[in-house]
Amino acid sequence: MDYIDPHLHMVSRTTDDYETLARMGCVAISEPAFWAGFDRGSVDSFRDYFRQLTDFEPKRAAQYGIAHFTWLCINAKEAENVTLSREVIAMIPEFLDCKNVLGIGEIGLNKNTRNEATIFMEHVDLAVKYKQQILIHTPHLEDKYQGTRMILDMLMGDSRIDRSRVLVDHVEEHTIEHVLENGFWAGMTLYPVSKCTPQRAADMIERYGPERLMANSAGDWGPSKPTAIPDLIMELKKRGHSRELIQRVVYENPRTFFNQSKPFPH
Amino acid sequence: MSIKQITAERSAQQIVAEDFMIARARIVELAATLDRIERATGDVDDSKNMQLLMQGMHILCDDEVEKAKRVQLLMSRQYDPQWQVQMSIERKGT
Repeated sequence: MDYIDPHLHMVSRTTDDYETLARMGCVAISEPAFWAGFDRGSVDSFRDYFRQLTDFEPKRAAQYGIAHFTWLCINAKEAENVTLSREVIAMIPEFLDCKNVLGIGEIGLNKNTRNEATIFMEHVDLAVKYKQQILIHTPHLEDKYQGTRMILDMLMGDSRIDRSRVLVDHVEEHTIEHVLENGFWAGMTLYPVSKCTPQRAADMIERYGPERLMANSAGDWGPSKPTAIPDLIMELKKRGHSRELIQRVVYENPRTFFNQSKPFPH
Repeated sequence: MSIKQITAERSAQQIVAEDFMIARARIVELAATLDRIERATGDVDDSKNMQLLMQGMHILCDDEVEKAKRVQLLMSRQYDPQWQVQMSIERKGT
């Protein structure tokens, strides 16, 4: 079955992973900008990273017939450095016209601090100014509930935001309802330990239905599985769900959401 | 919100039959973790994490629904609706 992985950090993966993804049915990827595992020291580090995301990765993906899209930002972890964050935000428009850029992301919170919230809102200003879609990272583990509620407060308190153009990622059982009931898109991240298993994602699809809901692997440099979406497909098939339902979650929904920014080639 | 629950294709009996081995393995893993803590030196009576684990296990055994959501909330930091005032954050785009 063809599928789209709407959140996958391919800069951290090998070319073999692209081949495996293609063999398993992956036809498109969207790659949000994220933390490299260490704090970068200058705006030029981000400029090079954005060149990698907008030039090198699309070519690498294309060798395996996979369309590559991306999102740009300085991530929440590095947003504690407000001065650097502002330099990066000022530089981002250099890349917004690149043909694979879908919007601003993954912006969000990490430890739910004042600086993170300040930089989050400045990213939102940038997205509004340039009419960009937004992809949001919600914090991990014990910080997730508080951080997700704070992010939703900031978005819902901003009358400029079109909620149908915002994807809130890494939802789990205690946050999904807040995201969906307020009109945002929600992404479930299939991660081995710290986020969500294919079984729990299938439970949430059964509980809330497929509307505005998608799944991703968030494969990166940490313990993660870039082919996690086929695991979800298999779990849904095992439970007897229809091809239409599965296809809606893993293909149609990301396509519908991303088509608001850039037309997909498939 | 209006829940658009999808009719479960599987009966409760089917789910118990099909998921039993996975659930069994996870209970044994949890039991072995508690045994490991018990055998080790040191005291965890004051450990917040240990208290959370014990409270989480109580949720598994009670008669209430939405166990996964409740365990998640148990393990979460509190949300304060007044956080923007506390942090002196100015609202944008209002």
